[in-house]
Amino acid sequence: MTRPGFVLDVDDRTPPLLVHAGESLRLERFPDGTRVIYPPESLPGVDDLDATIADALENPVGSEPLRALLFAGMKLTIAFDDLSLPLPTMKPPDIRGKIIEQVLTLAAAAGVDDVELIVATALHRRMTANEIRHVVGERVFRSFWPEKKLYNFDAEDRENLSHIGLTDAGEDVEISKRAAESDLLVYVNVNMVAMDGGHKSAAIGLASYKSLKHHHNSHTMVHSRSFMDHKNSELHSSAWRMGRLLAGHLKIFQIETSLNNATFPEQYGFLSKREWEWSLRDQAMMYGASRGLDAMPGRLRRKTFQSMRSEYAVTGVTAGEVEAVHEKTLAAVHRQQLVEVDGQSDVLVFGLPFLGPYNVNSVMNPILAMCLGLGYFFNMYRGKPLVRPGGTLILYHPVPHEFSQLHHPSYVDFFEEVLAESTDPATIEAKFEKAYATDPWYTHLYRTSHAYHGVHPFYMWYWGAHAMDHLGDVIWVGADRRTTERMGFRSASTLADALEMASGSVGRSPSITYLHSPPHAIADVK
Amino acid sequence: MSRRASRAGLPTVRGLARGWRWGSRPLVPASAEPYRPLPAPPREFSTEWARTPAVRSLRALAQSAALKPLIWSEVSPTVSGLDHLTGLRGPVIFAANHSSHLDAPLVLCSLPPAWRHQTLVAAAADYFFDDWWRAFGTALVFGTVPLDRTGGATAAASPATPHTLLTEGWSLLFFPEGTRAPDGQMAGFKTGAARMALAAGVPIVPIGIRGSFAAMPRGRSWPVSGRPQVSVRYGAPMRPLANESAKKFTTRLAQEIRRLDSEDRSSWWSSLREPATAVPSRTDGAAPAHWRQVWASTEPVPEPGRSTPWD
Amino acid sequence: MTERPSDPPSSRVGSRGPAVPRPSRADRVPAVELYRSVPRYLAARTLSGRLPSVAAASAAPLRLVARRPSETLPGWARVRPRLSGICGSDLATVTGRSSFYFSSLVSMPFVPGHEVVGDLLDDVDTPRGRLTAGTRVVLAPVLTCAARGVPPCAGCSSDRPTRCDSVTSGHLAPGLQTGYCADTGGGWSGELRAHGSQLFAVPESMPDEVAVLLEPLACAVHAARRAEVLPGERVLVIGAGAIGLLTLLALRALTPAAEILVAAKHPKQKTMAARFGAGQVLGSGDLVGAVRRTTRAMQLKPERGQPYLLGGVDVTLECAGSALDTALRVTRAGGRVVLSGLPTASPDLTPLWFRELSLVGAYAAGPDDFAVAIDLASGATEGALLREVLGATYPLELWRDALDHALSAGRLGAGRIAFALQSDPVAPDSRLESSKGSRP
Repeated sequence: MTRPGFVLDVDDRTPPLLVHAGESLRLERFPDGTRVIYPPESLPGVDDLDATIADALENPVGSEPLRALLFAGMKLTIAFDDLSLPLPTMKPPDIRGKIIEQVLTLAAAAGVDDVELIVATALHRRMTANEIRHVVGERVFRSFWPEKKLYNFDAEDRENLSHIGLTDAGEDVEISKRAAESDLLVYVNVNMVAMDGGHKSAAIGLASYKSLKHHHNSHTMVHSRSFMDHKNSELHSSAWRMGRLLAGHLKIFQIETSLNNATFPEQYGFLSKREWEWSLRDQAMMYGASRGLDAMPGRLRRKTFQSMRSEYAVTGVTAGEVEAVHEKTLAAVHRQQLVEVDGQSDVLVFGLPFLGPYNVNSVMNPILAMCLGLGYFFNMYRGKPLVRPGGTLILYHPVPHEFSQLHHPSYVDFFEEVLAESTDPATIEAKFEKAYATDPWYTHLYRTSHAYHGVHPFYMWYWGAHAMDHLGDVIWVGADRRTTERMGFRSASTLADALEMASGSVGRSPSITYLHSPPHAIADVK
Repeated sequence: MSRRASRAGLPTVRGLARGWRWGSRPLVPASAEPYRPLPAPPREFSTEWARTPAVRSLRALAQSAALKPLIWSEVSPTVSGLDHLTGLRGPVIFAANHSSHLDAPLVLCSLPPAWRHQTLVAAAADYFFDDWWRAFGTALVFGTVPLDRTGGATAAASPATPHTLLTEGWSLLFFPEGTRAPDGQMAGFKTGAARMALAAGVPIVPIGIRGSFAAMPRGRSWPVSGRPQVSVRYGAPMRPLANESAKKFTTRLAQEIRRLDSEDRSSWWSSLREPATAVPSRTDGAAPAHWRQVWASTEPVPEPGRSTPWD
Repeated sequence: MTERPSDPPSSRVGSRGPAVPRPSRADRVPAVELYRSVPRYLAARTLSGRLPSVAAASAAPLRLVARRPSETLPGWARVRPRLSGICGSDLATVTGRSSFYFSSLVSMPFVPGHEVVGDLLDDVDTPRGRLTAGTRVVLAPVLTCAARGVPPCAGCSSDRPTRCDSVTSGHLAPGLQTGYCADTGGGWSGELRAHGSQLFAVPESMPDEVAVLLEPLACAVHAARRAEVLPGERVLVIGAGAIGLLTLLALRALTPAAEILVAAKHPKQKTMAARFGAGQVLGSGDLVGAVRRTTRAMQLKPERGQPYLLGGVDVTLECAGSALDTALRVTRAGGRVVLSGLPTASPDLTPLWFRELSLVGAYAAGPDDFAVAIDLASGATEGALLREVLGATYPLELWRDALDHALSAGRLGAGRIAFALQSDPVAPDSRLESSKGSRP
């Protein structure tokens, strides 16, 4: 029996609470009266995953069974989410691989020869062969990779893009030519949070910059409230328009999966437990882990964290028509993550973990830390934000001035050049975006190395636009002052200092909410 | 070092100790009470090791060289009725009333060594086997085996059920009340011991213990000073009658133990005729006041064989 | 080390004491002198990497002496310095970082200091007319054929005196410049000798703290000319110390460069570079990346060593002394790299070959460079900017502090450090007083 999420009121019986701060773990005593949002406990996964997948393919929603859509001589393309999901990376076997295997089994039985598999990376970095092998599994990898029938999407390969048309709102829809010309596009997704999936899968994952810029911009992002709630998200509205246009041109069979909240492997189980229920062993683990990590050299610490594999179990697999499928998936995601919260508070506190979608096997640079906090965590709400307009956001993260030249070359320049000039998303967009998006070096690295696209740091910045617009003050606890200052934020050495700094705008005894995440929780703010 | 750590938000040993109150149960914040977890099912604690020959000899040594001298120095026990055991062949179930942690060691140490070494104590799984250190300690010294007092699920699931132990030749000490009486007065019996005896076909030896409540009641961890008198009185082995149900057998057992208590107060014969209860029932049939029961239970046990010249 | 018999007699006054050396005879002048000492030289060279200030102040073979100036020959005049700058090449020399190449171009012991503004003590003829005693002059330090009394060499006769081949011949001891020659004396002293060809009158209106920069400004002018910038080209200046800033000024005034980027290390240097008119100020941390961003070049990362660009700026002027390697890596194929400062590190020359770069040296300054520099510094805006370059002045007694300060000038927010050789220093008195007081 799993318990639902709930809101804790910190009282004098409450032990210090766990706070993530990048590659370290902290214990923080929150002021009495602080509301702490705990996600629901992890739901049990489905009993027989293979049977569940088979059932979803056989009994899809709003579509004929997959078996009926496959025929000899057809052109079949299977696209799937990249390794930015789920976080941390799943323990093998990855759910996408399990599904793709069954799809391919059906295709083989139907005599389909022309099959290609595309990693729907959009403007993300190309995944390495090992990463792809992890996602699709050894069998699929060995069958398709050497033949170059399993590859990363390339949004800069002009010859292999296809302009589908314009939406009613005049937005270009340009996606992978192979996908556009297929008789059937099967999209296999992982819906870790409510933002993923739906028309965001194919219409964004396989799209080019020309298409993406219509919704990945500062205006759209300010009006996506939140992008975890697709009905109130401008970003998703645009993606939905594009997806519907796409669906008119192309048969899409969407397979979505939802996961439970088993974010941490068993030995780090205390990270998912409620602190007052920590056993002596959990306390010892917390003590040992945090002190041990603190004493480790940085490289080893990063390796320790990055090699962490989650034990996510699948709570549901749904297949069929995109929108019908997505409704069901969202219900499953909300069942696992939704917590009802009563009203907004003056101060909101997040502890940012070591990993965001864009630093898998890499470094969380300052811009990604900002995006994780002001983009992802801030938007984990439905209804209205957890903090009142003009309130203060307090984030725990060291925000070191550290970049991966391999994965994030344009981020370095974005930080040094663009942020030195302005931190306002709209200004940045107008002045610099085009130059970065078309910079030949970034494009070259995106296409041939493992670099995020030149424009990606801009998207990260827009991701935080809604939060920047909404908040009065952003204070980082334990952060490098120079990096936070460059990003237009302030930093404090302790929570008490941060609250002191915020007292000017929210007073001496503000109402405080701490989102105890990960594991994920979406606040349903009434 | 630790100051630096606490400034950096890293946990310190002192901080952990304050936050979670080591040694006692963690407190649940008030607002989290509706979400308090159900008590975890008792962990399986195998007591197999405690019945290996090496540990048995260690236990025999501990009981005779440490436990018995200790108990006998802190209280003054009077043991009677051991003659009922002569000629009896084990295994048997010992069943005693229960009002103190002294009861199990009193019974064990009063048994003749031959019996003692073959006797295990059935102990509440949720109490004695909740912490590993308590489980380990009692299993070592008393040879306890976990007994689930909620419905027998654990006992059934664990490899060493009381039934198998009985068939293996071990005698078991049961406290059919299931818990120490809060007021020292014997409470209702659970039928477990009787059912076990019926199933295994072994006799039950009733034992009446008096004075242990006064010597070390619930809540005390050491006997009161002054070597209080306690009395352990063994009764005749009881076997179920033909077609007797566990419930009926239990009732009979309870009566017998009550009688032993009465016998200890007066004499064998008078106890047979009119069981003397410690606290007479009220005329209106209602239960006597709590304080009276405690009062009666803590009545000092007279020293045996020391009659005054005026008797 | 024995002193050469031809050395002018000098009485050692002790290199540590704060007292001004008291000449026993009236014609002796205080001077900081660099003498020959192998142990000290080695010590300074060893320490210069990690502890440059110790290297310069304690280990360097320098001493404060009362020195008798050599006789004034015909065509020469005595100059009493007012201000004398501490140049990067002086620091490299005293800390032992300069190349051994120099060792045969100098004569020991010499008094360093070639950025001099001072008062002329004798009347003297110059190619630009007669200067009378009392005129305020600056010094073109190169000791050419004219000064040495030998027939003009190829360089001097083609009016390029910086290329003079006779710097070791004639009646003077070897020495490429005043400040490296045992016979002329140098700026870090109470008096020196200068040949008429070396002297330029300073305009009345120009303050001393600007005039002392005329020599480096002339060098900057020389470098800017050597850069041969074409219209529309993008120029990078590496370094924003005094030379970098002056080069920036000269480039803006004299070349048709479209955009001038300046790589600066320290915060004050960055603001100064911006005020001196840099099109963009880049941090020196990731200079290759910063240049790449501006020029949208391709950046490659070799397996070892710094990254480099395919593409980049058209012309690079290296004004830091140690960034030639970077300069070669950020200049486009067919571009030019100008070496403005005394190089102290040896670069990987592969990009020079592969990118077909032109590596151009820019040494010192000729008479016409001085004329342009004087002209430039007389401008109101430029004059105002130049006034801010001189960070502090020190009396000669505090030469250790002065060198220490000069070595960290960038970090401490100063462009140039100079010795004030006459009683009324130009820098605020309070600073001098306090630094005087800090000495035991």
